[in-house]
This record gives sequence, structure tokens and C-alpha cells, in this order.
Amino acid sequence: MHELTFFRTWLPVIYLYVAGGIIFSAGMLIIYKSKSIKLSRPMHKRWFYVLFFGYFYYLGIHTFLTYAALNF
Amino acid sequence: MEQVIHTTPIFWIIIAGYFVLILGFGSYFARYNKNTNDFFFSGRRFSWWLITMSIVATGVGSHSFLKYSAKAFEHGFSSTMTYMNDWFFLPFFLFGWLPIVYYTRIRSIPDYFERRFNRNVRILATIAILGYMIGYIAIGFLTMGKTLEPLLGWDLYTIIWVVAIVAGIYITFGGQTAVIFTDLAQGFVLIFAGLLVFILGINYLGGFDVFWNALPADFKLPLAHFNKPSNFNFVGIFWQDGVAGSVGFLFMNQGLIMRFMATKSVNEGRKAAAFNILFLLPISTVVVSNAGWIGKAISLVTPEKWDASIKLDHVFTQVSSLVTSSEIVFAFIIAAVVAALMSTVDTLINAVAAVVINDIYRPIVKDRDDKHYLKAAMVISAGATLLGVVAVTFFDNFPTLYEAHGFFHSTMTPPLVIAIFLGIFWKRYTTLAAVATFVVGAFLMYLGNKYPAGLIGPFDHGIEMDPTHPYSYIRALYNTLVCLVSGVAFSFIFTRKVEVRIEKFTANIVVNAKAHLHSTEQPISGLGRVYYTLVWGFSNMINSFVLNAASDEKLDGITVWTLDKAREMFKGSKPNDTPGEDSIVHWKIEESADSFVRFSRKQMKEMAANVGDLVYLSDKRRWLGGLKSVHSVYAEPHDEDGIVYMTPDLIDSGQLVKGKALRAEKEM
Repeated sequence: MHELTFFRTWLPVIYLYVAGGIIFSAGMLIIYKSKSIKLSRPMHKRWFYVLFFGYFYYLGIHTFLTYAALNF
Repeated sequence: MEQVIHTTPIFWIIIAGYFVLILGFGSYFARYNKNTNDFFFSGRRFSWWLITMSIVATGVGSHSFLKYSAKAFEHGFSSTMTYMNDWFFLPFFLFGWLPIVYYTRIRSIPDYFERRFNRNVRILATIAILGYMIGYIAIGFLTMGKTLEPLLGWDLYTIIWVVAIVAGIYITFGGQTAVIFTDLAQGFVLIFAGLLVFILGINYLGGFDVFWNALPADFKLPLAHFNKPSNFNFVGIFWQDGVAGSVGFLFMNQGLIMRFMATKSVNEGRKAAAFNILFLLPISTVVVSNAGWIGKAISLVTPEKWDASIKLDHVFTQVSSLVTSSEIVFAFIIAAVVAALMSTVDTLINAVAAVVINDIYRPIVKDRDDKHYLKAAMVISAGATLLGVVAVTFFDNFPTLYEAHGFFHSTMTPPLVIAIFLGIFWKRYTTLAAVATFVVGAFLMYLGNKYPAGLIGPFDHGIEMDPTHPYSYIRALYNTLVCLVSGVAFSFIFTRKVEVRIEKFTANIVVNAKAHLHSTEQPISGLGRVYYTLVWGFSNMINSFVLNAASDEKLDGITVWTLDKAREMFKGSKPNDTPGEDSIVHWKIEESADSFVRFSRKQMKEMAANVGDLVYLSDKRRWLGGLKSVHSVYAEPHDEDGIVYMTPDLIDSGQLVKGKALRAEKEM
């Protein structure tokens, strides 16, 4: 068992969403710049929102689970 | 090995019954395989929900109940990490790789490399991808062996040979449609079986409160310790699984790519992928890990009931046996897990056959009829099964399946992942740079493996090096970086202009060397002959690597920057993006040598379709998921509303039923 230090609790969450966020943002930027996703098309616009939603959805799950493990 | 869990004949009758049922279900749908396109890609016909459920069985099977239960027992809820870190690459996949794969109708990943670069790069990619898939098959067999080991008490390899024969026979005759439908059924069964273990486990413990309160806070954290211990830490697993593994699974798992190519459109593929990652993966992670959590809680609450001497890879079997008081339920759960693994292996065997047929066999044995290639695919499927069994010995050396899988991903995926990635997203990535990614990258990876402390050490984020299996996970970061640096550096040095110059230069040397070798006016000495032969051979080799170096036109449709071209090439003319409505019609036969469909003028207008646009017709019953469907082209309209005239070949190909209405959708 590990002690509940910052390395055990919140650092992994921060690292995951910063490093992962860089990869995710690079992906969003490339598909936008290359016009692979065209925000003028309603269907693509929906996908644009879905992609952002997914990032924050997982961020929310990991934050909630970490908080629950430490407090309940 | 001694039989740890005792069973009665009823247990084995249920296991056999389950297999007969599930194989029969898949075999029924195998009749939809009319040609190699159906055998490998199922004729691009299915709805997203059918594909996303069939992906569950492939994903869950490949990641396995056993390996996650083992890690969940040891390290707690952080066993879920690998299922919950796939979203970061989704923009690249949904709007990069998926439309490219779909619109360019590539038959395999190496096929992409030939279109993007040239034949030699395709060969390198074929070698890498076959190594990757055979390794994956071996891990699947090893997992199945370890599941059944405590139940049968047989030698591990005897079990593996038996399951390999069953898997080989099934895939050889089934093909992709059979696999999709078997997996569809198993997707539901697996989720049900996994959640059943969880519910029964909670009940066994005396309620959720007992379960939750028994576990320490450290155990309940969703991510592992940042860099400890060396065999399970957050940062290593992030690079191994979140980066190399996620990209490997989404971008170079031929089996998965074939699933997406079986969807009726790119948008359906997007829906399947997004739904799977958003909703089914979080459920799946509970499904595969919970036996470990329940096992840990049992060992703390009622230690007298827990066999502490059990191997980690057998935790799942032990927990299932404990919490299911009925042998029938236990048999059902074991059958579902083994059958899921079979699905994963079958998907990969089918994928190996697709790569070998399309990338090796077809270019050598040309112009044969489709039946010939179909037979060859079956023989190759059997061969892939055999190779998978042989490769098991390598992975059996690791302490757990999880570590074997981790090492495998860290080592096999980076060169292909980087080559695919740069190929899709970076126009300046050149042919020689792709070769360097494979060759120089592999060499630097080899050096890293030989001198881990000096080369991988600087990237270890403070992870302690285990001398037996050094840096099993974080090596993925080093391996990815060296492949990336090789690819980028060579692209800057050997630009396309330089490659064209090298091509001309080496072509001249080849001509000159040949002239010297065959000259009758100035015969050359023996030493001179050796010299010119070497010069000729070396120049020829270099020339073959830069031959047809990618021009701007050659990049049309195969990078994310030229996707509009890909859509145009897919359709054969400019896509019609005007939004229209779906139409419900009844079909009538119209004899013709060509394939086409004719709608009424009114319905063409409703669908906003023009003559020459692409149309997808499927049985109106949505629950069929597109099983009875066909793609075609709008021909000249008529005036009978509600009627579509179709040629007999389309009715046959779509397996359409007389009297049943069809739903027509304009494509693109």
C-alpha cells in the first residue's frame, strides 16, 4: 500500500489531462486546420461538440472517483 | 498442473452447449459471404450499434478478464486506467484515419503505405503488422489457456492447442460477417456475465457498503501511483497504453479497422467509435476488473474463504467460482469469457488472412477468380492460428499477462504508429523518412533494449528499473520518441526534391553499371565485375526505395489535408452534400446487365439526389442493423412513387426479401 501523497492522488490526474490534453488539442487543431471537420456543416458541428464533451466527461469521471476514494 | 477448481460433467456440457450455440449463430450469418469483400469487410453494410456491440467483445476479449482481474486484485480501481484513456486520440481517428480508410477503400494497413509511399515501404509495414497481429493472437491463446488451466488441470500447451484448433476451424469457414455476428451476441453476453459477477460478489460480501468500506482509500483511487512500483505505475502505463496502445488499437489493429469498414458510412463508423469509448468502455472496465476488487474485499472481510496461494492470473476464475453458488451460473460465466477470447483471436486471424491475401498473395498470384482467393484465405487463417500457438512461448516468460501485453505494446507498436501518424497528418513526411522510421527507429529501439539504463533511463520519470524486465511500460515513450525523431529528421534531410534527385542519380548509376557489365567493346576484369555488380545492386536498392516518391498529386485523398479528394474519389464525381430525407420504398426487378436503382422523380427530390449519386438501401426493419442491404447508384428516375427498380444482382447481393419495404438513404 502507498501513502496518500500528491504522487499517489492528484498528480496522475493532472498529468493525464495535461499530457492527454496536449495530444487532444493537437488533434482538434489539425482536423480544424485541414478542414477535415467543417464547422459549417451541422453534422460536423455536432461532432465538434461531442469531441470536447468526451474530454471533459472523462476528466469529470476521474476527478469524481479520486475525490470519492479520498473522502468517502 | 493440478486441477484447482473441481467441476462436474454438467459444467462441461454447459460450456460445450454455449460454444455450439454461439458458433452456430455466427455460422448462420457466414452464408452472407459471397466474395472476399464480404469475407473480410462484410460489404460495408452495417449500422453503428451492431458494430459498436461487436467491438465490445473484441476489446473486452483482447484486454481480457484474467489480466485485469489480476491487476485489480493487486492494485485496485486503477486497473481501469487502460480503458479510460482512449479519448485523446479520437479527433485524429474520427476525422483523420477513419475517413481515409473508408473513402480510399484500402484493403489493409500496408495497402495504405503503398499508396502513400511505395511498394518497399508496404513490405516493411506488412512485416511489422504481421508481427503485431501474430503476437496479439499468441497473447489471446495464452489467456485462454490460463483461464482453463485451473479448471482442467491439463498442461497449458495442451489446452492452447485444443482451443487453437477450434478457433482455426471456426474462422476458416466463418469470415468477417460470422465474426461480427458472433461478437455482437457475445458483446451483450459478456457485459451481462461481468456485471453478474459484480452483483453476485456484492451480495456474497453482504452489500455495497461492506464492499466499499472494506477497501482502503489507496485501493479505490482510479489511477495508479505516479511512478511506483515498476510493474504497475501511472506514467509508464500512460505512455504504454494511453499513447502506444490506444493508437495501436485504433489505428493499426487491422481487425478493428475491418469492423469500421463494415459500417454503412463514415458517420456510422464515427458513431460506433464514439459510443464505444464514451459508454461501453467505462462499463467494460467494471466488467473485466470487478472480480479482482471483489476478490480483494473477500480476502479482507472473510480471509478464511480466500485461497491466498492462488496465482494472480487465476483470480477471476477463483472469484467466479466463489460468488456463484450454482455450477450452472459459473459454467455460463467461464463459457462467456472463453468465447470472448475466441472472438478476439478470430478477429485477428481473419485480419492476418486479409493482410497476407491482399499484401502478399494477390500481388504474386494475379488474376485468379474470387473463389481461389477465398480458399487461399482459409489456408492462411489456419497458418496464422499455428503461428500464434508457436509464439505463445515468448509471452509465457512474463510474470503476468498484463506485463506480457505491456511489453508487447511498448515494443511492437511505435514504428507503425509513428509511420501511420506522420503519413496521415504530415504532408512533408517522405518515403525515405518512412523507411527510416521502421529501420533506424527499430535499430534505436534495439539499442534501448540493450542499454536500458543509459537510453531509456533519462525518460523514466523516476520509475525504478527492474533488471529482469527493464522499463516494461515507459520504454514506450523512448521507443515512440526515437521513431518520431527518425521520421522527422529524415523528412527534413531527404525532402521530396532530394528524393527525386536521388531517384534520377541512382537510375543513371544503374544504367551505367549495367552498361559496363554487358559491354562487349571494353570487357571488364573479374574484380571490376564484382565492383560494378555491387554498385548496380546497391544503387538499384536505393532507387527502389525512392521510386515514385510521393508527389502532391499522389497525396490526394490519403492525408487529412486532402480528404475532400478522397470523398470525390470514393464517389467517382463531386459529392452532393445537399441534405435530403430518407425514403421508404418497395422494390421491383428491372433486368439489365448494369447495376443501378431507379427512384421516382418525387422521391429523388425528397432525398435531394441527382443521377450518379450514391445510395444505400436497407431492409426497413432497423433491428437487422443493415444485414439485408446494398449500395448502388441513382439512375434515371421514373414516375411511380414508392417504387424502386433494382437490377437482380443488387437484390441478390443485398439478400433483400420480397414484399419487405426498404429504407433508401442518399450517401455522402
